[in-house]
Amino acid sequence: MKQVVVTLALMALVALPLAAQAPDVAARLTGRVPPEVVSAVAGIAASAAGRGLPVEPLVQKAIEGGAKGKPADRVIAAVRALADQLAAAADALRSGGGRTDADVVEGGAYALGAGLGVKQVQELARASHPPYDAALTLRVAATLAALGVPPKNTVDLIEGVMSAGRSPGDVLDLPGEVQAGVAHGATPAQAAQGLGRAAANAPPGRPPGGVPPGQQKPPNPHKP
Amino acid sequence: MTETFHPLVKRLLDGELSLSDLPPELRGEGAEALRLLGAVDRAPVALSAEFETRVMAEVRRRARSPIRRIWHGLVEPRDIELRLRVRPWVVWGAALAAAAAVALLLTRPPQASEGARPVRVAAGDSVYVRFVLYAPTAQRVAVAGTFNQWDQHASPLARVGAGGVWAITLALPQGHHQYAFVVDGAQWVPDPAAPGVDDGFGRRNSMVAVTARGARIL
Repeated sequence: MKQVVVTLALMALVALPLAAQAPDVAARLTGRVPPEVVSAVAGIAASAAGRGLPVEPLVQKAIEGGAKGKPADRVIAAVRALADQLAAAADALRSGGGRTDADVVEGGAYALGAGLGVKQVQELARASHPPYDAALTLRVAATLAALGVPPKNTVDLIEGVMSAGRSPGDVLDLPGEVQAGVAHGATPAQAAQGLGRAAANAPPGRPPGGVPPGQQKPPNPHKP
Repeated sequence: MTETFHPLVKRLLDGELSLSDLPPELRGEGAEALRLLGAVDRAPVALSAEFETRVMAEVRRRARSPIRRIWHGLVEPRDIELRLRVRPWVVWGAALAAAAAVALLLTRPPQASEGARPVRVAAGDSVYVRFVLYAPTAQRVAVAGTFNQWDQHASPLARVGAGGVWAITLALPQGHHQYAFVVDGAQWVPDPAAPGVDDGFGRRNSMVAVTARGARIL
């Protein structure tokens, strides 16, 4: 009898937040997306919340699809795909012993979606000790991969910059540095390798794409 | 009537020559000039004493005006002689300071240009982020993203000059935000300055990371 009561209490603890969240999701989506999207996304969000996954990215994806005028089935498919990526990222981070808060899980989902493997996401999350933020590191990795940098080069570059003691801002600058290298004729992989070598050889405190004192840094043609 | 007299005739009129000094062929002209000059009333003009008194009173009144004196002191040119007596090390020191200032100006990091994203920390957890898009043919441009519920009416960009540049500065909360520009209410355009991520609908979204120390596009 006691076990039944405990089980019911636990189920209520799980169900109450879900029940509270579902109307909130539906209310936020109503008027922004077709009704069938509202009900489908509310269900996906409730399921995600039940697994401890962040719900906000799913709501945002649905709103984005509605704002962009996408058909209902495509919006639902995109939300479902994102939910799957979030679940995969959460599993990867959890099994890797890293943080699993919403921001990191979302970053991991983008990294997985951009082509990084589970082990690479785990590795980057593990290597992101303060002052580096795993959520930020994983998003940078996703962007580098989206630029065409192979996943292995992506991980090597970010880890190299962090182990060389560069600032978190330098990690954030990496996509722009790779873009600049590509604009000068390098492949994304070559640009990443060059930045990685520069990070390994440059004295601490200087960004991998830095220039000697007294010289002007060449402008990034992709930054207006 | 002769419009211009011969130079020798002019000297005659000036009293430098006499009529007999002129060559015979100019004597007729000289005599005519003397006749015309003699017809001019050259009697001295006598002004009344009252007129002279009024003029001098006005001159003295103007001379006494302090505002006029200051004004004249400010605007009237005058010769000023400046003599400097400096030691050579002062000259060299000043030259070195000027050179150092020039070197600092030349070697300092470049400032953010119009299209960059200058940021500063806003109140609370927000940071000001400037969004810029070059769209010369656009009639209206907006930025929509996770920070404004993808509402293309919430954050319209304003034209910057007449060169086709559009911009807006928004206070964004710290975190990571996806966004895209909306051109003419229909065309969703990722930020050309940002690589972006897959939006799940076959296109790309741009991403900006906002931290307490500023914002960077990803």
